[in-house]
Amino acid sequence: MARRTFKRARDGTLKVTLYAQEVELLAMTARDMMTIVEEPPAGEVRDRLYPRAYLDPTEEKAQGEYDALVHDDLVRSRRAAFEAIVAGLDTPPNNRGLIEIALGPDEEMQWLTAVNDARLVVGTALGVSEDLDTDYERDDPRFEYGVLYGWLTQLHFELVTLLLDEIGVAGSDDAVIDATGEEPDEEPDEEPGDEPGKGDA
Amino acid sequence: MHPPGIEEITIPDTVEELLGGEEERLDVPWVVIVWNDPVNTFAYVIFVFQKLFGYSRAKASRLTNQVHFEGRAVVASGAREKCEADVARLHAYGLWATMQKDD
Repeated sequence: MARRTFKRARDGTLKVTLYAQEVELLAMTARDMMTIVEEPPAGEVRDRLYPRAYLDPTEEKAQGEYDALVHDDLVRSRRAAFEAIVAGLDTPPNNRGLIEIALGPDEEMQWLTAVNDARLVVGTALGVSEDLDTDYERDDPRFEYGVLYGWLTQLHFELVTLLLDEIGVAGSDDAVIDATGEEPDEEPDEEPGDEPGKGDA
Repeated sequence: MHPPGIEEITIPDTVEELLGGEEERLDVPWVVIVWNDPVNTFAYVIFVFQKLFGYSRAKASRLTNQVHFEGRAVVASGAREKCEADVARLHAYGLWATMQKDD
C-alpha cells in the first residue's frame, strides 16, 4: 500500500510524512515562494496571486480602498505560511529516512493554501491549461518545473482529499441568485461515493 | 371567504409595501463571482466553498461545476462590505474572485 503523506492523528494534529528528497524540494520551493509572493513578477503571476476585487474600471476608488485594506495582510500571511512550512521541515529524519511532523489547525491551513499558492505560481508561469498536462520532454526547458508542478499537485490533492472527507457533505443549500437574477436549476444531490474529480475547475 | 383554489388577496397600503421586493434588493446589491482558472482543482474549490460559506457538498459541487463549465458562478451576495470580505477570503485561498453590482 502506498505511503500516505497526510494522516489525522488521534490528538487531532495532522501528521505529515515526507521523504528527505521531498523535504528538500518543498523547502527549496517554499523559500523561493517567500520572495515571489512579496514581489511577484508583473503580469500573469501577479494578477493571479493578487487579482482585482473589482473588474469595473469605474470602481477604481473602491479597488484602491480594497488594496489598502487587504493587500499587505495577504502578502504577509502568504509569506508567513511559507516560513511556517520551512520551519516545520527543519526536523531530523527517523531511522527509516522519513521526516514526520505534526501540524496544528492553523499550520494545516497554511500548508493547504501555501502549496496551492506555489501551484498557482508555477502553473501560471508554465502556462498550464485545461487541455495540456505538464509531462514535458526531458530536453524541454520546462521539464523540471513540470515535475515540480505535478508533485505539488499530488501533494495538494492528498491533503484536499482528506479535508473534504472530514468536512463531510452537510451544509446550507440556499439557492443563490445567479448573475441573470434567476434561480439556478436545482440538480439532484450527489450519490454517495460520487467523489469530486481531480480535474481543474 | 373566497372560492377554493384562489388565495385571498391583500391590497398593500403603501407603495413601499407594494415594492417590498425592491427594497430588499437595495440591501443586497452586490454579488461575489468566482471565475474559472486552469490551476485550482475541482476538489479544492469544493472544499473552499464548503469551508468559507458553510455550503453543503451538493451546493459546493454545483457551484464548482458552474465555474468550470460556464466560466463563472455567483457564490455569495450581500452588502458591499460583506462581499469585499468574502472576496478577500477567496483571494487568500487562491481563488479568482471578483465582485460587482447585481444588476
